[in-house]
Amino acid sequence: MKSSSNDDLNRPRLSVVVPLYNEEGSVERLVQAVQEALGPKQDWELVLVDDGSRDSTVARARSAVAQDSRVRLVRLARNYGQTPAMQAGFASARGNVIVTMDGDLQNDPADIPRLVARLDEGYDLVAGYRERRQDVWLTRRFPSMIANWLIRKATGVPIRDNGCSLKAFRRPVVERLHLYSDLHRFIPAVAAATAGARITEMPVRHHARRFGQSKYGLSRIAKVMADLMVIVMIRSFRGRPLHLFAGAALVALLFSLAALVAEVIAVAAFRPVKAEALVFPSVAIVWFGLAVYLLILGLMAEGAVRRYGRRVAGEIPLAREAA
Amino acid sequence: MKPSGVSVIIPLHERCDPLGPLYKEYLDPLRAAGLDPEFLFVAAPSHAAQANEADVLRKSGEPVRVLRLAQPTGPAMLTRVGAIEAKNDLLLVLPAYRRIEAQYLPGLVERVHQGADAAFAARVGRREPLSNRARRWLFHSLARPVTRNRFHDLGCGVAALRRDALLETPIYGDFFRFLPTLMQREGFEVVELPAQQHPGDVGVRFYGPAAYLRAAVDLLGSYFLARFTERPLRFFGLIGLLLGGIGAILLVILLVQRIGGVGIANRPALLLGTLFLALGIQSIALGLVAEIIVHLSAPTRRPYRLARLDSADSNDSPG
Repeated sequence: MKSSSNDDLNRPRLSVVVPLYNEEGSVERLVQAVQEALGPKQDWELVLVDDGSRDSTVARARSAVAQDSRVRLVRLARNYGQTPAMQAGFASARGNVIVTMDGDLQNDPADIPRLVARLDEGYDLVAGYRERRQDVWLTRRFPSMIANWLIRKATGVPIRDNGCSLKAFRRPVVERLHLYSDLHRFIPAVAAATAGARITEMPVRHHARRFGQSKYGLSRIAKVMADLMVIVMIRSFRGRPLHLFAGAALVALLFSLAALVAEVIAVAAFRPVKAEALVFPSVAIVWFGLAVYLLILGLMAEGAVRRYGRRVAGEIPLAREAA
Repeated sequence: MKPSGVSVIIPLHERCDPLGPLYKEYLDPLRAAGLDPEFLFVAAPSHAAQANEADVLRKSGEPVRVLRLAQPTGPAMLTRVGAIEAKNDLLLVLPAYRRIEAQYLPGLVERVHQGADAAFAARVGRREPLSNRARRWLFHSLARPVTRNRFHDLGCGVAALRRDALLETPIYGDFFRFLPTLMQREGFEVVELPAQQHPGDVGVRFYGPAAYLRAAVDLLGSYFLARFTERPLRFFGLIGLLLGGIGAILLVILLVQRIGGVGIANRPALLLGTLFLALGIQSIALGLVAEIIVHLSAPTRRPYRLARLDSADSNDSPG
């Protein structure tokens, strides 16, 4: 992502990153809409990231590249999913401001200048939210409402529409993101957790999908839940995992003690002790074993943080010099 | 002009046919196809005798190199060492015993010349006892949904590959048998070409229970690596939820009974429920630690591979 000083001269101010997967129906209109929204200047670039499409997306994107030098194409070797595609776009983007959006024209490129202007007000990340969302309520908007509420509550980052891809970032935020798995759904939370980014949101337009197929369904809720757990952990305990595990170990230890107390009561109340009464001591041993296991795991996690932590760019919070 | 050099890697471990005749059998069709092969015999320490056999070929002036490894290791590492030492960008990995008719080898090489990253042979016209067939069917039936691929002969082990594609694919231990799957997972173009089975490959082979166990464990391992390397909590979390859920249900039932006045001090179900719950918590906790490691190591790895460069693309851009 770092570039030499020669490159700096040719560096556009704005990079628009668009992951594409089987979007042959919308590529040309997308490029045209971005060109219209950003004007004839040479200070922007459009980075199309083909995520292993099997239709004619690549051919159409290549034709757009041939016609406009501001349009670039990055091709992934196979279909990796939206998050790796977005990360590939980030790695290739050269602008100081980076805007992401979907390739299916549900986002409106005309909103890009407004997002960038908002960023200039002193934010590191501006997230768009779809004000009048044109999706089916039961299968799209309702699950999305639940997911967003959960994400808000769990992460403490007050973004109402984490699923909207239209977002603007300052370059240092993007350099600290290192997205993988399905983390694109949690970009504001990750940015806040790893870099202390200043985040705001603003309404953006939303159009109904006109081309191609939706790549999401209800099944994503379970995945979102698992990812959410990870985000909460990253946010709360990434620097001190031993705290989390030691806390859990303490709870297990308390259960172990409770089982021992139950045994003492059982022995006192039901003398003589029968062989079956060994159930309580066994339960105590299981809980004690779990406590020890959690403590060891916590130490291992702490070791991993020490091992990797110092080298991680995301460990370095964003800073702003007073003007 | 097409490059004509090809490095033939033959790992020497476990089964080995006499190498002199085998070498000749491999060499002739390659030369006939206009290729200029170098042979690398890579020997595990247990196969010093076979390495000596290959050395005889080398001393007689044949284009043969013999690499002896000091440490015991599996086929994956033997092949990797061969690939590192190879002089050519195009490799042919062959077993030290007969699998397919050698005249099919140039076809595999040609397919890689045409642009594939790897071309694996799949034996056709197989004559094999029912027991072998049933075993193979079972393995591939299990492997297909796990690896999400449609390779027909993972056990063949005959392949032409681009050297850098092989070196960039993380293989180790017994995962070698999943090489086509792993390469495809890395984003390489992998094809399977039919090849006539060699008569010497026909026969009943008996494997001990340990071999089956290893195959099952490898299958599970490759399933985990393919699906959950970047999201371990989804794997460990699911196991944890299942185990912990069973434990929690048992404990809730006991709690209700206890409130109803039934004693639980002598109920093994209490121990069982606790055990399941503890196992569930252990699994989830392990998943969380794995997630921490994945998250912290994210800046050091790239979660994608770019397609091979094309003049119309910008893949050569920073990053």
